Amino acid sequence: MSRAYRIRVKESISQDLSASDEVCSDLEILEILPGDQMADLLAGELQGRGFEEKDGKLVRSQDGVTVAVDPKSGEVSVKAEKEEHVDLETEKEGWGYDDVGPRGQQIRRQLSEQAKAELERRTQRQQERLQGEATEKLEGVMDEVRKDLNDAVNSVTREALKRKAAQLGQIKEMTEDPEAGSLTIKVEV
Amino acid sequence: MSDPQPKSVSRFEANLLRILRFFLKQVPAEQALRLVHDRMDRPKCLNAVAVELVRDSLAKGCVLYLVRAGAWKRDRFLRGGEPKFGRLWERSPVERLTLSFSKHALDFLIWVTTARAKDERPVWQTDDKNLTVADRLLFFLAYEAMRSDPDLAAALRTSATFGENALIWLAHPNDFAGEKPPPVPSFDVWLTEPGSFVLEALQPVLEHRWLEIERTKGQIGDWAQLGQQGLVQGRVIDAFTRAVDAAGRRDLVRFLLAVMSRVLATPDMAPTFWTGGLQGSGPPRLADRLETQRNALALLRHMGRLREWERAARRSSYMDEDYAANKFWLGEWERFGPTPTPGREDRETFSVFADRAERVLQQLEPLRIG
Repeated sequence: MSRAYRIRVKESISQDLSASDEVCSDLEILEILPGDQMADLLAGELQGRGFEEKDGKLVRSQDGVTVAVDPKSGEVSVKAEKEEHVDLETEKEGWGYDDVGPRGQQIRRQLSEQAKAELERRTQRQQERLQGEATEKLEGVMDEVRKDLNDAVNSVTREALKRKAAQLGQIKEMTEDPEAGSLTIKVEV
Repeated sequence: MSDPQPKSVSRFEANLLRILRFFLKQVPAEQALRLVHDRMDRPKCLNAVAVELVRDSLAKGCVLYLVRAGAWKRDRFLRGGEPKFGRLWERSPVERLTLSFSKHALDFLIWVTTARAKDERPVWQTDDKNLTVADRLLFFLAYEAMRSDPDLAAALRTSATFGENALIWLAHPNDFAGEKPPPVPSFDVWLTEPGSFVLEALQPVLEHRWLEIERTKGQIGDWAQLGQQGLVQGRVIDAFTRAVDAAGRRDLVRFLLAVMSRVLATPDMAPTFWTGGLQGSGPPRLADRLETQRNALALLRHMGRLREWERAARRSSYMDEDYAANKFWLGEWERFGPTPTPGREDRETFSVFADRAERVLQQLEPLRIG
């Protein structure tokens, strides 16, 4: 007569998860001055706003969000990244009727496979959660980044207009209304 | 005088002729599609009367199709860089409009009558290099006729003869959408005579197809489907506009101007016209959602290239080699502008639609900057 006995199998997983989301777009910079001069102006403006030069791009990383701008082409990318380390553990239990031998091993193998499959599902859920958080983070900063870059572009345009005006003749009068976003320059040619 | 005796053909030959006339849009699908689906034993050869009837049907049917499609229209197209006005046969000497079919045309017709095309593998194909423009036109018409059966169309696309026919791609880009779409085939054969004559004649057909594509996009609920279709559409337009530009045949994108002027006729168009049918929140990543939406606006995204042509044309001077072609393009730019307002002297150009397209694209961008 066979004896029933309990079989327990434990499985664990330790993994680094990472998720990211990214939006790319283009800055529309008016070519008031030659392209390289506009790029220099933009680079200077962005550096004043906390961007650092890295491989020809101006990059600013803050709280897992990286904004990169190529001042020459005007390409801009905003990337949110999240990383997390997960330690997951699960235990599966089954019953066997033979003390030793191939039947017991088979049950252990099945329980181990079930445990691994469950860990995979849980890891997948964690990954999806992390992905959701990265996307949420990106969506959350989008307004702020847009406003910041818009201000930078406007500032570059203003500066370029001033330089262009100076090239045309002697600036007699310059009035700036930051509220209305207008700039009036009177030049004597 | 008595009527001539009707010519006598075998059952197989009669089916083949009926299928051919179905391809040429002279026989309704109900009468012919079942013949395509049926299997018949292949005869050792066709009799001379049947071959003569096939030749006659191809010669008259293809020409009639092209005339009805748009060759009859009095219009302007480029000839040697200069605009030429008239019907297709008035714009070019008739001897240059000749379409010649190779043996592959008859070979295909025998195969489609013999085999159950939907189930037969491999689907009939031949070495592309031997195909004439007329053969390719016939395969385009055959595909068009049979694509009402999606399984049959999918089977045909497995054959390089159909899957690499650029005219099929241009008229039905969505049929090639998928997870891994194949590369867009070359348009070269359609941009030199007599292929370019076919494209001139098919302008209204292409306009109709692309208008349908744009107008039905807003009903697509599946994110992946819209993204994949948009991706292929974008690739086709990109390849086609590059090819016509290189060939000095910008006049052949007229159907795109016509489509855009109709789609963007309302001033306050929004991206939802193209993406409004999407169901659910879509892919979890913002990047993927944005890519799908950008793909949906593929046609509008290519407005930029047409605008570049317009700007380049305005800079062109009388001394330039392509001055006449540039003037022609500016003429097209004006012609496809909004309908003139009574009492208004200055006429708006296509730039109005280009601006509208830009505004729609901007609305989609989460980083609307500038």
